[in-house]
Amino acid sequence: MLTVQLFSAFFILCAIGAVAGFVAAGRWISIVLAAIGSLSALVILAVSALLLIGDASFRAELWPVLSLGTMKLAADRLSAVFLFVTGLVFLPVSLFSGVYLEKHRGHYSLGYFGVLYHALFASIVLILIADDAVSFLIAWELMSIASYLLVNFEYEREESSHAGFVMLAMSEAGTVAVIIAFMLAMDRTGSLEFGALRASAASATQEVSWAIFLLSFFGFAVKAGLLPLNSWLPLAHPVAPTNVSAILSAVIVNLGIYGIMRFNLDLHPTTGAGPGSIVLIVGSLSALIGILYATVQAEMKRLLAHSTIENMGIITAGIGAAMTFKATGHPVVAAIAMIAALYHLANHSVYKALLFVGTGAVEAGAGTRDLDRLGGIARRMPWTSVFFLIGVLSIAALPPFNGFVSEWLTLQTVLRSAELASTSIKVVFAISGALLALTAGLAVTCFAKVFAMGFLGMPRSDGATQAKESNWGARSPLALLAVACILLGVLPTYVIPVLDGAVTPITHESASAALVPPFFSTMAQQQENLPAKFIAEFHDLGAQVGSAALPGRGLVVLHRGEEQNPVVFAMSTSYTLVTFAVILAIIFIVFQFLSRRQALSRGPAWDGGLRHLWPATTYTATGFSNPVRVIFDAILQPAAGEDSVEAVARHFRTAIRRNYAEVHIVDQLVLDPPVRGLRTLAAVARKMHVGHVNAYAAYVLLAMLFVLILGVGVF
Amino acid sequence: MANWVLKGLRTGIRTTGYPSRPERAAGVSPGRPHGASLNSIEQADTLVERCPTRAIERQEGGVAVDHRRCVYCLRCQRDGMETVAPWDASYEWATEGLDEAASAKKLQRAFGRSLHIRFLDAGACSACVSEARQLNNPYYNMHRLGLFTTPTPRNADVLLVSGPVSDAMRLPLRKAYEAMPAPKRVVAIGACAIFGGVFGSSFAASGGASQIIPVDVIVPGCPPPPLAILHGLLLVVGRKPPAQPVSRPSDQVMEPA
Amino acid sequence: MVMLERRVEQASFPERLAELWRRKWKGRVGAAFERDGQICRLQCPTKELPELCQWLTCDLRFVLATLIVEEERAGGWLLQYVFYKDSDTPWIYAEVRLSTLSQVIPSLSGLPDGPSFDWHEREAEDLFGLTFEGHPRLGEFVLHEDWPEGVNPMQRGFDAHQHVELRHPDPRWKPPTVVEAPGAFAMPIGPIFSDFAESAHFLLETVGEDVIRTIPRFFYKYRGVEKIGEGQMLDRVLLLAERFSGTSAFAHGLAFCQAVETICGIEVPPRACALRTVFAELERLRHHAAVITGICNSTALAVATAQAALIEEDLLRLTCEAVQHRYLFGLVKPGGLSCDLPEDKCNLLAESTAIIAARLRALHQMLRYSSSFLDRLEEVGIVSTEKAVSYGLVGPIARASGVSRDIRKLLPYAAYNATHFVVPSEQEGDGYARLRVFFHEAEQSAALMRHFLLSVPEGPICGAAVSARADAALAAVEAPQGATFHWLRLNEDGTVARYHITPPSFANWHGFHLAAENFAFQDFPIILASFGLSNAECDR
Repeated sequence: MLTVQLFSAFFILCAIGAVAGFVAAGRWISIVLAAIGSLSALVILAVSALLLIGDASFRAELWPVLSLGTMKLAADRLSAVFLFVTGLVFLPVSLFSGVYLEKHRGHYSLGYFGVLYHALFASIVLILIADDAVSFLIAWELMSIASYLLVNFEYEREESSHAGFVMLAMSEAGTVAVIIAFMLAMDRTGSLEFGALRASAASATQEVSWAIFLLSFFGFAVKAGLLPLNSWLPLAHPVAPTNVSAILSAVIVNLGIYGIMRFNLDLHPTTGAGPGSIVLIVGSLSALIGILYATVQAEMKRLLAHSTIENMGIITAGIGAAMTFKATGHPVVAAIAMIAALYHLANHSVYKALLFVGTGAVEAGAGTRDLDRLGGIARRMPWTSVFFLIGVLSIAALPPFNGFVSEWLTLQTVLRSAELASTSIKVVFAISGALLALTAGLAVTCFAKVFAMGFLGMPRSDGATQAKESNWGARSPLALLAVACILLGVLPTYVIPVLDGAVTPITHESASAALVPPFFSTMAQQQENLPAKFIAEFHDLGAQVGSAALPGRGLVVLHRGEEQNPVVFAMSTSYTLVTFAVILAIIFIVFQFLSRRQALSRGPAWDGGLRHLWPATTYTATGFSNPVRVIFDAILQPAAGEDSVEAVARHFRTAIRRNYAEVHIVDQLVLDPPVRGLRTLAAVARKMHVGHVNAYAAYVLLAMLFVLILGVGVF
Repeated sequence: MANWVLKGLRTGIRTTGYPSRPERAAGVSPGRPHGASLNSIEQADTLVERCPTRAIERQEGGVAVDHRRCVYCLRCQRDGMETVAPWDASYEWATEGLDEAASAKKLQRAFGRSLHIRFLDAGACSACVSEARQLNNPYYNMHRLGLFTTPTPRNADVLLVSGPVSDAMRLPLRKAYEAMPAPKRVVAIGACAIFGGVFGSSFAASGGASQIIPVDVIVPGCPPPPLAILHGLLLVVGRKPPAQPVSRPSDQVMEPA
Repeated sequence: MVMLERRVEQASFPERLAELWRRKWKGRVGAAFERDGQICRLQCPTKELPELCQWLTCDLRFVLATLIVEEERAGGWLLQYVFYKDSDTPWIYAEVRLSTLSQVIPSLSGLPDGPSFDWHEREAEDLFGLTFEGHPRLGEFVLHEDWPEGVNPMQRGFDAHQHVELRHPDPRWKPPTVVEAPGAFAMPIGPIFSDFAESAHFLLETVGEDVIRTIPRFFYKYRGVEKIGEGQMLDRVLLLAERFSGTSAFAHGLAFCQAVETICGIEVPPRACALRTVFAELERLRHHAAVITGICNSTALAVATAQAALIEEDLLRLTCEAVQHRYLFGLVKPGGLSCDLPEDKCNLLAESTAIIAARLRALHQMLRYSSSFLDRLEEVGIVSTEKAVSYGLVGPIARASGVSRDIRKLLPYAAYNATHFVVPSEQEGDGYARLRVFFHEAEQSAALMRHFLLSVPEGPICGAAVSARADAALAAVEAPQGATFHWLRLNEDGTVARYHITPPSFANWHGFHLAAENFAFQDFPIILASFGLSNAECDR
């Protein structure tokens, strides 16, 4: 089979990549690594495309493990979606690494980086195609360790070690929870093959199901960076090399989502509305808290990391909605919710990779990624800025870019809660809808700030003044990702059926016909899917306009209500794009026509008659977001420290210093108490170390005694 | 809030009929000194001597008054003077800049009827500022004539300058003028902006706006009352003719037109 | 009885002061009384100056009026720190002489009342080239960054009519800022404002939302009035005195004339005194109406703005009708007034001001019940009493912060001692307190005007003609914005040897930054309007 060969080729390429770094020399190391990395990514893209669009399948058996079943590999379409996204991110990031790694050459071992990078890639793919818990967990651990080592790549920096350690510790705690969840799920069959788990899911008692749900959801939530287990994310991203940050945010967090989807929707589907509501609320809260912290950040990588939490929250909210709808018997809406979640996941990976790589390019050009010290980059790095702007518009969810499509779908799905029976669940949906709407609004503020403060205005540091545009080697991955953003944005009607293919096996119901009805192809066919009244609605909206000129499906539609009283929501980014283009063209032509006889003169911005403006007279990112900081003071507690004032002659102040000590509210409320408890416990335990042999002998004796008593008592 | 609406309605319309009808309310303008026909040379000399800014000049048959140089010390009027200069009650004082030929040429229709105005205080005593501010009060309400203030000279058609241009305001004045898009006009209001007024030309002041930028319309007075400034702006849009700044002994004493 | 005793005790204050001086300063500081004990001169060696000034301000509660610097004909410098308290105590001139060689004096800005000395010292440093040792910040005050180094316009050798070639400052030049915080930036406002406003520049340092520090830059309108007046005849300098600040022309003209009258010993006839009081109050009324218009406008209360603007314009028209000029120019002259107010005009003024006072009261009443308006003013732009004292604030601004000091009461001039009135004062020091003070003072001005208009004494309006003497005098007047001090030295020939003006806006702008800190951006225009200060007056 072609897929098997391709997967084999991929793993072989990874193996070569791991070694190649030590074989090549000088400038070639990074080029070879980039080439092998992108080639592997291409292979993954190819195989996942085959799985998604074609009829190909993949199934392989490795070897049996003790009594826990056989280690198996298989890829269904859900895996393929994640594989495709992984490939889509790894391709440009590998290209970018070729340029980026140059600055580390000679200082850190690039060969070592090659080993870790390809090990990570291979383990990620392995996770996605594992068909039994054992191979899944082995790959999972491999991925955790490889990513930890990559974050810690610049090991000489103090903060990397700390951040890497927090990341590893939290990741391991999550893994333990997942292992317990697997063990609870296997209980009866004794097999850890996914097929067996699936089969036994229905027979689990309610208590066990709840335990499995909570353990697996929060276990995977660590990787996905969901509240309250997100502390590692904003720590790890800024210290990791930028290409690794991109992988962290665009691929590794996805694995958490994959885990939740695979486990809680496929292997051991949740029952009842409870779990779905929990997931929904955790998702929406993560989204809001994530974007709030992103908005008040001025350090670009940390900002993007917080924004990753936000996006993971939105995806998770979609999953929560899907769980609820599925459990309450609305399979089509559940399918729509899952499509929304998967779509947002793909979108997030693409634009987040774009923004991280763009940040890397800006940092390479201007020497800083502190928005308060940037400014004016658009003039100095025009190409990078255009690509970055596309990423910003996408992540701010503005039409016709990709973020808009999936956020629109997610919000619309949440609004479908009207169809649910239970009032309490409706309330949960309403709250979460409000949180998500607030999140969407803040996201615009946040990323308007990023672009306006970072790329427009006056440069605020020497580095930003002297910023240089990067070469095409660094710009091509940006271009690639920007094109992906636009395509995912304007072609939702082609993306949704593909995603629908991945979702249908889980929801057992296709949403394709409902979401993207085939208006223009054959009017006759749709009759069975849509009542006449709906079609009349669409005609009122003007859906048939241009049916002759525009091929295929142009509208994404959500509808509900009764046949006689339909409520229709529809949008079309492709039409929006066309309309924008036409309007802009008309404006351009009219402007050209009107100003044909007028001389255009350009002058500096009006400065109120001041001698000149200087960079410190322009808004900073911190200043721009300060209203948000003030409004959400109760939630954020950004801990604006005391002002310290230096003065001479009593009243004449020569310096006012304001010191910020940022403490994340979640850390403060959730993580700090156990950490403090552990510290106290450790301090107590330390007292046992008195340093006398006699004392240690006594400990051994006591421990033995304790075990004996325990043995007698239990058995 | 309703109270305020009611209060506003109860106050009624107070706006002047100018420029359609002359404004005859008492105190809208201090009026201006006028050339006088005098029989004795001594009388004329006293008047000339009394004037601190040489606005009064001896001419055949009496004295002529150059209103542009008047700083309203009122010494030709008061203080035990036996001979006083006649005084007219007009307020339509605005006229072309000191380089009259150039301004007259420039005042050819460049605008429609609406203007956007940027006010600039180049060291004025703040009486001019206060009078310019009155243009927005309900009595004068310049908006009804299509005259608006704009925050930035980038959108301005007219730069309204007051003050003798202090050293520190030279640069802002030049920058504001340069920032204005063509066509642009400069209206200098008050004696200080016209020739430096009592401050003259010194180490600290330039002696008038025309020393720095070309001035198209001047509005004499110290300070010029709001209606005179309004006349200056109407002159820019060509809705009113310029006034005669120098009145000779033979000229008629004018009433508000 | 108690009142009487206090008066007796204070009437002997020169003696008491002499006693106090003997106890503490004899042998260190010379003392002499002048003008029947109205002036006490303390000759002070340079090193004793800080202690002496602290003694005067902290122990005796004297207030700094002004700092007068003179370049003596024989060479060297004479600095006079002038203090006042009330009509029962003499003016105190603490004199310091410097030789031509040493131009260094200890700065007094470190004293408890240091801020009130602060700007006087900066001004003297810029204009005379003196050095105030220990002053936290000198330079770039009156003269900006493009003024050539080492050129001091007030020095005797400097020709007022020369043209000074300005420098091109370093292209990277920027004013000093003090806030250090991640993301801190400065918001520049001015010098050209977006409305009909006077030129000044404010740099608001912030990290967004709240203003941490306000750094004002004034003297954009410095016209060198004091310098160009030197060597001119009195009638010429009177024009300058009136016209450097057009909205308070009468008050400054009056102060100048009072200084001339003191020097020349001219008695002002009672009718002129009464009418001077009327015109001074008319100016105050119109000025306060303008400030109230500004405050309403800053809060975007359209109808109230229109109402206040109508009152302001009505007052301008009324003034013009009465005295032929809308801003009272050309009215006051040494010895009295240049024109009389006939009976019919007196009645007109009396009647009209009564109506206007009623309209103001009605407006005040309505504003007091407009919560949206009060929200913008209450607890906004607070100046504490303590700060108001140490910064030496004057006029309505100080009175809104609980410092009820008024020259009309403390050192009565014109006809103010012929009537009884209570100086309005508030404690809060916020924008609303200032608004209330402006309203109360305006109403009181109208009442005072009526009082004097209905009983103007008959008689001439001008005293004896000016006969110049070589002498100097200081006159104090409560201008609409507060105490102004005009100090004048005349030559034999009637020309002005040296003229020094300390306008109220100079003192109050110094304290402005106190109010405009730790408040939100959007409050800034309101705080600015609630001070109602004049740059022309401050900059001279």
